[in-house]
Amino acid sequence: MALLLMVFVITMPAGATTRLQDRGLFMYSSAPGATTDYKVAFTYMTPESIGSVDMLFCNNPIPYEPCVTPTGLDVSHATLSDQTGETGFSILSQNTNHIILTRPSTMISGATAPSTYTLSGIKNPTDTTQAFSIRLKTLDAENGTGPQVDFGSVRGQVTTGIELQTQVPPMLLFCAAQEVADNCTSTSDTYYSDMGRLSPKSTLTAQSQMAVGTNATGGFAITVTGDSLTAGTSVINPSATPTASQPGTNQFGINLVENTSPAVGEDPQGTWLNALPTSGYGTPNKYKFVSGDVIASSPNVSLMKKFTVSYIVNSAPSLRAGVYSTTITYIASGRF
Amino acid sequence: MKRLRTIVVAMFAVLIAGAYALPAGAVDGSSAALSIVPKKNYSIKPGGSVKDKLIIRNLSTTQSLHLTLRVIDFTYYGEDGTPKLFLAKDAPQTTWSLKPFMTVGKSVDIGPGKSKSVPMRIAIPAGHGAGSYYSAIIYSGGPGQGSGQVGLSASGVTLVFVTVPGKVKEDIQLKKLGAYDTGSGSYHFIMTQTPKNIGYTIQNKGNVVESPVGSITLKDMFGHTTTIDDVNPASSLALIGQTRTFTPCIKYKTDGKTQGSQMHANGCDTAPLWPGLYHATVDLFYGQNGNNTQEVVKNAVFWYLPWWFIIIMLIIIAVIAYYIWKFTRKVKGKVNGPKRLSRRR
Repeated sequence: MALLLMVFVITMPAGATTRLQDRGLFMYSSAPGATTDYKVAFTYMTPESIGSVDMLFCNNPIPYEPCVTPTGLDVSHATLSDQTGETGFSILSQNTNHIILTRPSTMISGATAPSTYTLSGIKNPTDTTQAFSIRLKTLDAENGTGPQVDFGSVRGQVTTGIELQTQVPPMLLFCAAQEVADNCTSTSDTYYSDMGRLSPKSTLTAQSQMAVGTNATGGFAITVTGDSLTAGTSVINPSATPTASQPGTNQFGINLVENTSPAVGEDPQGTWLNALPTSGYGTPNKYKFVSGDVIASSPNVSLMKKFTVSYIVNSAPSLRAGVYSTTITYIASGRF
Repeated sequence: MKRLRTIVVAMFAVLIAGAYALPAGAVDGSSAALSIVPKKNYSIKPGGSVKDKLIIRNLSTTQSLHLTLRVIDFTYYGEDGTPKLFLAKDAPQTTWSLKPFMTVGKSVDIGPGKSKSVPMRIAIPAGHGAGSYYSAIIYSGGPGQGSGQVGLSASGVTLVFVTVPGKVKEDIQLKKLGAYDTGSGSYHFIMTQTPKNIGYTIQNKGNVVESPVGSITLKDMFGHTTTIDDVNPASSLALIGQTRTFTPCIKYKTDGKTQGSQMHANGCDTAPLWPGLYHATVDLFYGQNGNNTQEVVKNAVFWYLPWWFIIIMLIIIAVIAYYIWKFTRKVKGKVNGPKRLSRRR
């Protein structure tokens, strides 16, 4: 079996391609929907006659995959306003996302510097969330048909300073209180938890809730910050790793799931399964608190999820007398 | 002396008892219910500026929302897209910081259920170097009223990315490629469960954030090909210096309504893959406006060997071995049999 495995690994096929080199795209304006000029640059590689250059504008750069036209893009009125390097081209045909440049088929000069072609009057795509590509092909035939000589793709993306009003803008909703509604429309308006009196024989518990949601494709993250419970210079040590509750020792910790020891908290509520507590804060009966930790996150869109935070405090008999308190801040952010 | 010792012990006991009998003190907490924009992207030429508005909504219908705004820096946590926020007031400024170029309102008060926009401006000085710059705006909630041992406060963060166009240093190294298990967060050479994700890990050694595009092709031993035509459906970024792992699904769940990046949120479906050896080829493209489009191609192999397949294979091997053994024994019997007879004779 091991021998069979080795044979398969060793007989891996190797790929061989001829790609246009030094490929680049300069968009004179990257504003969505703007009419602007594109300068396409590349170096011809194969020393053969070239009669046409095929430029296909698609979302995906891979030449053998179906071409989806970038939303809003229009090259049907573009003109070839400048060319350097391999010259003599004119536009043979064009439509919304396709331009074919043609010239009498001529052997390339072999110059090492990239040739450039400036196309004026191109209407930019409007989708700022997605890159687009120009699939390039050089051909011997003057009409853009037949076998290709070289190929390659260049990548572009529109960006803007102002959000498009026609799109639903990405939003991040967040609330925290002792109790919150699933969608943050109401909270208990209570922003503190009175845990009672410390005792080395029992564990003090409390819980609060937070709801979070985003339509952003990058998802969200919730970071916790704050100090452990302190009274003057006396500190109840937080658990730096997920640890079970240990009455009789100084311990402060939180988690985001339902626990039985002690009985406190609830599991996350909501239909979005991708929004979860992070590994250190998602194990029942294990508590942790490290300021700056990310305690929950979603890798992509998660419209609304409610988390219940469980707090436990234990104290050693030697703990100094005092009023122990802290403020915990939960910070919701997008992801990149 | 004995009496004195008794008094000291008694006093100490009273002190300790008092400590445990103390009620929780009053501590102001703070919280908020807010809606913000999670991310902003701009392209600003050197010498240029952008004016924009940050729209903030107070989700509470009963309480006013008071927020203070501050620009902070951030970097990455590990290999995913979670920002690591530099919250300390004295945190050193990062080399990619927007702090010197960004001005934003200091605070905002928003009535219950209302929205407000806070003006912001980013101005890039003339002659400033091309590349990516990023910081975050943190909206800190005001203290809530109440008393207790644990006070709560909620804050939000908007990540702000600016690209300054021009010639930039772009360098992405493709570190890993293969079958990826999102549960364990690791690559596997042999998968016993149907692979749902193909992972690739890149390291960004340039001075600009990168968002690669491209495709991954999977080919099995029998020539069947499966293509992941969008290797970065959420247009995620690899920050400057970051090693980032992308884990696109081999097949996305679809409800028939969502498309494109929204499909990414539905998660992965089980792809109809046959057991055996797979060759994965990733073809990545990246490059900023006005710079060369770079292409990275890498191949990798992995095995998909589900337990049922391994068991069947073991049974088949056992059966074959049995028949080989039986055949060998038969042959040996035929060869050795007459010899033994002849020896006896």
